[in-house]
Amino acid sequence: MKHKQKQKKKKKSHIPLRMNILFFAVFLLFSILILRLGVLQIVQGEEYTNQVEQKDEISVDYSVPRGEIYDRNYQKVVYNIPQKAITYTPSKNPQPDDLLDVSKKLGQIIQMTDADKEKVTERDKKDIWLLENKNGDSLITKEEKEMLKDKKLSDSDIYQMKLDRITEEQLKSVDINVASIYRKLFNAVALTPTIVKNADVTDEEFAYISENLADLPGVNITTDWDRKKTYDTALSTVLGNWSQGLPAEQLEYYESKGYNLNDRVGVSYIEELYEDVLRGTKSKVKTVTDKNNNVVDTKVISEGQSGKDLVLTVDMDLQVEVEKIIEEEIQKMKEYPNTDTLDRAFVVVMNPKTGEVLTLAGKQYTGNKKTPWYDYAHGTFTSAYESGSAVKGATVLTGYQTGVISPGDQLLDEVFNIKGTQVISSYKVMGWIDDLTALERSSNVYMWKVAIAIMDGHYVSGQALPLNTDKIDLIRYYFSQFGLGTKTGIGFSEEIEGLKGAADVNAFQIGIGQLDTYTPLQLAQYVSTIANGGYRMQPLLVKEIRNPDVNDNALGSTIIEEMQPKVLNRIDMKSEWIEHVQEGFWRVTHGSQGTARSFFVNEPYDAAGKTGTAQSYKDGKSTYNLSFVGYAPFDDPEIAISVIVPNAYYGSNQPYSISNVISQRVFRKYFELKEKRQNNDLENDEAENNTEETDTEENLQE
Amino acid sequence: MENQKKVPDRFDWTLAFIIFLLFIVSIIAISSAQTSGQYEINFVKMQIFWYGVGAFIIAGSLLFDPDQYKKLTWILYGFGIFLLVALIFAPTSIAEPRNGAKSWFTFGPASIQPSEFMKTFLILAISRVIADHHQKFLTKTLKTDGWLLLKIGITTLVPLALILEQPDLGTGLVIIAITAGMVLVSGISWKIILPTFSVVAILGVTIISIMIYFPEFLKDHIDVYQYGRIYSWLDPYSYSSNEGYHLISSLQAIGSGEIFGKGYLGKEVYVMERHTDFVFSVIAEEFGFIGASLVISLFFLLIYHLIKIALESNTQFNAYICAGIISMTTFHVFQNIGMTIQVLPITGIPLPFISYGGSSLMGNMFAMGVIFSIRFYHKRYMFSTDKE
Repeated sequence: MKHKQKQKKKKKSHIPLRMNILFFAVFLLFSILILRLGVLQIVQGEEYTNQVEQKDEISVDYSVPRGEIYDRNYQKVVYNIPQKAITYTPSKNPQPDDLLDVSKKLGQIIQMTDADKEKVTERDKKDIWLLENKNGDSLITKEEKEMLKDKKLSDSDIYQMKLDRITEEQLKSVDINVASIYRKLFNAVALTPTIVKNADVTDEEFAYISENLADLPGVNITTDWDRKKTYDTALSTVLGNWSQGLPAEQLEYYESKGYNLNDRVGVSYIEELYEDVLRGTKSKVKTVTDKNNNVVDTKVISEGQSGKDLVLTVDMDLQVEVEKIIEEEIQKMKEYPNTDTLDRAFVVVMNPKTGEVLTLAGKQYTGNKKTPWYDYAHGTFTSAYESGSAVKGATVLTGYQTGVISPGDQLLDEVFNIKGTQVISSYKVMGWIDDLTALERSSNVYMWKVAIAIMDGHYVSGQALPLNTDKIDLIRYYFSQFGLGTKTGIGFSEEIEGLKGAADVNAFQIGIGQLDTYTPLQLAQYVSTIANGGYRMQPLLVKEIRNPDVNDNALGSTIIEEMQPKVLNRIDMKSEWIEHVQEGFWRVTHGSQGTARSFFVNEPYDAAGKTGTAQSYKDGKSTYNLSFVGYAPFDDPEIAISVIVPNAYYGSNQPYSISNVISQRVFRKYFELKEKRQNNDLENDEAENNTEETDTEENLQE
Repeated sequence: MENQKKVPDRFDWTLAFIIFLLFIVSIIAISSAQTSGQYEINFVKMQIFWYGVGAFIIAGSLLFDPDQYKKLTWILYGFGIFLLVALIFAPTSIAEPRNGAKSWFTFGPASIQPSEFMKTFLILAISRVIADHHQKFLTKTLKTDGWLLLKIGITTLVPLALILEQPDLGTGLVIIAITAGMVLVSGISWKIILPTFSVVAILGVTIISIMIYFPEFLKDHIDVYQYGRIYSWLDPYSYSSNEGYHLISSLQAIGSGEIFGKGYLGKEVYVMERHTDFVFSVIAEEFGFIGASLVISLFFLLIYHLIKIALESNTQFNAYICAGIISMTTFHVFQNIGMTIQVLPITGIPLPFISYGGSSLMGNMFAMGVIFSIRFYHKRYMFSTDKE
């Protein structure tokens, strides 16, 4: 027993102490918890309370008006019309009930357009009916609800049953105006302002909503912009188009650049090429809301800026007149027989010294009664044609440069008889002629002989004509120095270089523009290069980029960027050779045997140029393209033009010199407009002087 | 036997009252938590039902006296191990993994987590190992102490390995905590305890430090999941995993409760698993620092009561049981509350008596049942000893 007690004593010796140590450890651990709680709830409590109460920061982008486009005389070409608009910005997680509530309130204030109302589907109405009638509970029997519970029916089965059971009669209770609003709200992207109505918003609607904004969560009034072209169809394709909302196929690209789904974006030509300039910067507004979605604070993070304005080099008055000339002349030509292949013509007017494009006109006759003319302005660089003898200036200069002829060299214009091919010739056998006469009278044989010589050929009548066709690349290289067969540098990705013909036995036809095809813009660049003494200028369409004014509807006053003329290259040929060819061009329009003499010899503006006729094919017919390149005045060229009328006629007789007539009228129109503007300026000056005079008279009378 | 006190007097009413208070707290917290509408089940009703079941478990526990528990110890321990082994081999139809851990037997709507009971079985087993050891070796030397530590270690390692296999790190940590507490109380010499605990502590700190500063080093040995757990604990704002978000929402809920709380049902922050593992965030948000401290104090009161019982108990076996249950409860409370306030990383451990959950509650109630039994049969031993 004693022993046992001893043992017990021993037991008690360690347990109480160890127990107390354990208890102390527990006490320490619990103290840590209380301490930490104190820090969290007392020291940092307010901080966390703030975090909980103002959790939501919503950042909304507001779109700004797109930049406007002006012509070189600062006349509006593409502009914005401000429109009153009603927008809706859904919350992060919009509930259908709330959307319907807003729709109903809005429906009492605004009337949607008929077009919007027509878009309401039966399904839309059914969805709304369900929302209004306790989710259509009455349409489902008790048994079916039991089946849903037992998972014999799915939720979607039940929903479909409800949709099927709504009667026409029941749907009549759905207001079509409310339904059309609900559609718009339902399809809006969260946190992105979406336009509910922007056409024909009346002043009453606008005023009423602005007074009741508090009752209409998410609804706002703002200004939207409708974009219009002043000159209707003139130049319209090159001005380009814009989309309402991002184009679906490039969604990711635009979203990565910070666009919203419903943003406008330029999708073709100038609108697309200058998208970054025209789009502007959105204004960003951050709204802090508390847990009940009350707005606590609104911060403007960035002001945003309207898109910048573009000033084109194009003279829209001239553009419109030139387009009219094209239409009239095509109509006139089509009165003649054998012209049913004719449907289009192009005119490019450039300043040869700066490369500024004054007119970029293309018109295609569609035969439609409603819209007989398609604006084919972009065809001046997206379509190419055999241009015929118009390129002979480049041929002669290439001849000089390669050393096969020298200025003044005579060659025999004879009937060309190459073994194994048809007999060919100029339109008239001219005998021994020099280079200037060859240009004046448009000798084919002279040019062929030049091209053949470059390709190491030697023409002997009746024999085969072997050619080193590799050397055609040399000819193409020199031609490309003028812009022929290469990109002109206008900047559009759609621009083409034209087709290169096969370098076979007929390779020498390149010398008369009968092998490769060239775009009207290339021809204009080529003739500009000859006119300005050998500089290939980049064609400019945009002259200035301007910052928008405070008043969004006027031309911006500050110029951000002024495009400078850009020399792409200087041709390799000597200046005196170029002057020699210029003389040849002058003789085309003035020489006694000049092919365009009758059209220009009596004109006051002293033009020089080169005519062209090329064989082509269309609709299985052997047709002729008619072309003209030229510039005026000869001594100090202000404009260079290219005119090409593809497939103008077929058969042996040219019924009407459409390309020369168009050229003559374009020159006349240009100088007529110039004179008119000078007179206007004078009159204005005089008018100003007159007012000053009357002022002094009045003073005197006093 | 005439001196034998009447049954109502032998019953530990204090302990019962503390458990009743915890029951009230549990019902208030769960009834508020379930209004966030995560689930459609009425957890309050279920929790009342489980408390009912718990009352029966306690009543059942009273049928046996501590001596009988001592005799049953190895049977219960074996039964627990059998269940854990069975879990590994059970088909998923009756042991469906939850959150990737195979810890539950599921029979229709009822499910049970054997590890919840294993904890108490282990406490009994270790208590018996220590008590038997001390009976056998009357004079203790460093050698006998080392021998005891080894025996305790083996007894622990079997269930620990099985639980980590599930894998259930949370319960594994509880097992380790229980063992540590009991080793402390077992009377093993400080010369063994201090170095052992130090080595374990240094090892733990080293592993966690390596995970933080040299993550590549242990990549092959430690799950990416465990890395995420550590990172989201230390910096939840930049480590935006689910757990990071979970912790942030819990901190916001508790922090914004401030001193006085937002009142019953006044909670504003959405926290996941609010009726189970994050039930403390409801209490702290709605009843503030004062309410939260009161609940912690309530647990402290429970521990204090258990310490008192341990000190008053007349057998070593009973004292060790108390020490084990104290360690278990303390670790549960500290880990659960700690993870909601960024003191410890998040692990799936419920708050005893308060979190919703049948298995956890039944496990705890069984543990309390053993305590009730100790108290219930306590006096009689005292008298008998006196009579001797």
